[in-house]
Amino acid sequence: MKILGISAHYHDAAAALVVDGVPICAVQEERLSRHKGDASFPVGAIEWCLDHAGLEPADLDAVVFYERSMLKFERILTCALRAFPRSWRSFPHAIKNSLGEKVWMRGIISSYLGVPRNKIFFTAHHAAHAAAAFLTAPTRHAAILTADGVGEWATLTVGHGERHPDGGTDITLQHEIRYPHSLGMLYSTFTAYLGFAVNEDEYKVMGLAAYGRPTMSDQARKLIRRTPDGAFALVPEYFEYHTTANRSYSSRFIELFGPPRNAYEPIDLETAEGRRFADCAASVQRVLEDTLVDITRALHRRTGLPDLCFGGGVALNGVANARILAESGFERLFVPSAPGDAGCALGAALYADRIYFHNPDRAVPDHPFWGPTVDAQELARAAREDGQAVEELDESALIERIADELTAGRIVGWMDGASEFGPRALGHRSILAAPHSRATRDRLNRDIKYREEFRPFAPVTTIEMADRYFDLPPGGTRLARFMSGVFPVRPEWRDKLAAITHVDGSARVQALERDMAPRLYALLEAYGRRTGTPVLLNTSFNVAGEPIVNRALEGYSTFRRCGIDVLVAGPTLVMKRVASPATVKEAVA
Amino acid sequence: MPLDLLSYTVRLTVEVAGKYIRLTTSDECRRAWNIVCCQSFAMTKGRVAPIDWFLRPVHRWVWGDFDRRVRKLLAFAEVETDGGRDILRAAELTPDPLLRRLYLEHAIDELRHGNLFRERGAALLHKRPARDVLFNGTPLPGGHGLDDLRIEGEPDHRLLAFLHVAEKAAAGRFTIYRELVDDDPATRAIFEEILRDEVFHMNYTYTQLTRVLPESYRRQVWLARANRLWKRYGRVVAALTSAIGGAILLVQYFILLPPFAWLAKRAERREPVGWTPIPRDRNDSPNSQY
Repeated sequence: MKILGISAHYHDAAAALVVDGVPICAVQEERLSRHKGDASFPVGAIEWCLDHAGLEPADLDAVVFYERSMLKFERILTCALRAFPRSWRSFPHAIKNSLGEKVWMRGIISSYLGVPRNKIFFTAHHAAHAAAAFLTAPTRHAAILTADGVGEWATLTVGHGERHPDGGTDITLQHEIRYPHSLGMLYSTFTAYLGFAVNEDEYKVMGLAAYGRPTMSDQARKLIRRTPDGAFALVPEYFEYHTTANRSYSSRFIELFGPPRNAYEPIDLETAEGRRFADCAASVQRVLEDTLVDITRALHRRTGLPDLCFGGGVALNGVANARILAESGFERLFVPSAPGDAGCALGAALYADRIYFHNPDRAVPDHPFWGPTVDAQELARAAREDGQAVEELDESALIERIADELTAGRIVGWMDGASEFGPRALGHRSILAAPHSRATRDRLNRDIKYREEFRPFAPVTTIEMADRYFDLPPGGTRLARFMSGVFPVRPEWRDKLAAITHVDGSARVQALERDMAPRLYALLEAYGRRTGTPVLLNTSFNVAGEPIVNRALEGYSTFRRCGIDVLVAGPTLVMKRVASPATVKEAVA
Repeated sequence: MPLDLLSYTVRLTVEVAGKYIRLTTSDECRRAWNIVCCQSFAMTKGRVAPIDWFLRPVHRWVWGDFDRRVRKLLAFAEVETDGGRDILRAAELTPDPLLRRLYLEHAIDELRHGNLFRERGAALLHKRPARDVLFNGTPLPGGHGLDDLRIEGEPDHRLLAFLHVAEKAAAGRFTIYRELVDDDPATRAIFEEILRDEVFHMNYTYTQLTRVLPESYRRQVWLARANRLWKRYGRVVAALTSAIGGAILLVQYFILLPPFAWLAKRAERREPVGWTPIPRDRNDSPNSQY
């Protein structure tokens, strides 16, 4: 069967194609449209998936949308009614927004693709998250937890999944917590309060938290009440996201935590105000972790299973994931490379294949590289036309050369094969650098990524050596496969790995298996031979506010306008030749 | 005024010379023309469109107020940044190496302008942080930008014509803004710096348009103008229909919804919090949107 999964209209639209039970490709719309967090109907992603597989829309057996749009509309309408008359401003906006496009998904899909309406299916939002987490994980029987801002009504679900010996598959979600009670919305409220972009910059709150102390945990706990059955409920007086469209926190929230941060003011951690914001971040982070640990402990007690699959946007919180692994009782924690809404496109397609159509279970390749492949010739042509120094090297010479450049302190833009599906650069669209000096981190933040000083960088190392540099608990290497956990850097290595050691001594490490990205693995080995430490700084190949690069030319244009020294795509290597802007203007005018 | 006249004369001369050079001489001359043209334009004012002269009181109203000034600067920051990213996209997609380099420089300029506006807006905001500028009301319209142009599939000549018209309009408008912020030297300096770049952008887009489409570049410019007007009309109509739709929904909200709101609130009070069991048959109807 050929099944297309689609997610769209909230954030991170994406498309994924599953053929005969195995994913063929998946890509987020933002990577193709070049608009970060693009939520529009993913026409580009769908076209690319079909082209990649050599299919026409008529060849598809099913198209699956990742949520039940009418049920979601019911929630929006009900919340507007519940908040009457305070919702008078948001009501027209919400209704126009929903009735304008979002509720007519069957018609939209049918008209875009020209497929019959009876081939269009829907999954529950959290069922798609659950499928993305469980059906892509190498486990036969696992507990499932999903948590995000909100789907239709559910914001958090628990259940379990099982692959039967006869090939059948079960995914059973047993309990849910319903909107407006949401861990994702709690965290997003603090994201907005701290002056960051909601649904996009939550990871900045996590990064900032390391600079603070959870001195405001008691205040943060006033926002979230634990219920007798072990769940939680947010105290509505502190929030406005369910009543207005303008602001997520209320005046009482401000009374509790003080004035919100102006998004245009940099966070100065030397000032009392800057430290207050860091403490706020640390406090909500602590509350989130504690709540998740309690829920997963209870889930472990109830299921008695050793494995947990965790999906939904909250699963991007690597600090919380590490605590769940350490404290919940589960032996292994599986977080997919795209646990957020983009991953729901793949989850919805897999769910339909296994559950709706009862197709036998097939092992899903355990890697994140489902996107478009880089074209090295495209890079070579463009760079030559611009007078850049281009070299074409064979595999081993290239690896040795890049290792030399990294050892010499140069910063490398690295493009290799198919792009990653999900928000992390896991070795195919990465900026690589030596991990040893704080100056490298500062240079990357200042001259290359153009982002805040407090933001940490992640390391990548070989799976065999990970435990030498990082204090990984049992099961830690699995969580580190897709950079889903934050773990302590071993104290004796912190000074030597200063560029990737966060202020609290931790790092969001990627433990790389040779089979997953053989070229990067070879590069780590070559770098290790030179420096004694097969560890590299690995950050996503983009600048602040832009999606990760996809095609070679996107990597090239990023290379041209920021401080990257060397660019690699396949066998092609480009060294930067610098010209002053005035010279360039005169030369090209 | 004599200075204006002088600059206009310089510009006219350069334009005429440019036409001559474009028609008759080599690449080297063309390059020389471009540099001269850029430099002389940089010394002149942008030509202000009649509509902007007409709207001067509105511009003065916007820039005369602290809150509005900050919001306008921050809105410009977003527009310039978005425009820069779109032009960057054009640089990635064009098959023409020369245009790729020019678009890249142009995009870098636009992204820098975005930062300049953002930093200035933030600096002004820092002076009077107690004002709730950002949290009350939507930002003021940002002025020029790349509107809703889809870069993908757009031929270079159409994009160049569009950029030329947009940059020209921006240069004219920024000339007015520069005068209206005389009391604020830092903001004025930003407009002056940006104006210099806008003039360069205006000129290179025009000369490249003549290179890419020598036979009908004028027609493309007129088409771009018409298209810009049409989009402006489209935006006004969309805003109007949205406002009418919003008003109708608001009336319905207050007339029709109160009894349903009462019922919804009553139901909410009865709703248990904590874990809610999920019915096993919830996912039994794969075709249902409910």
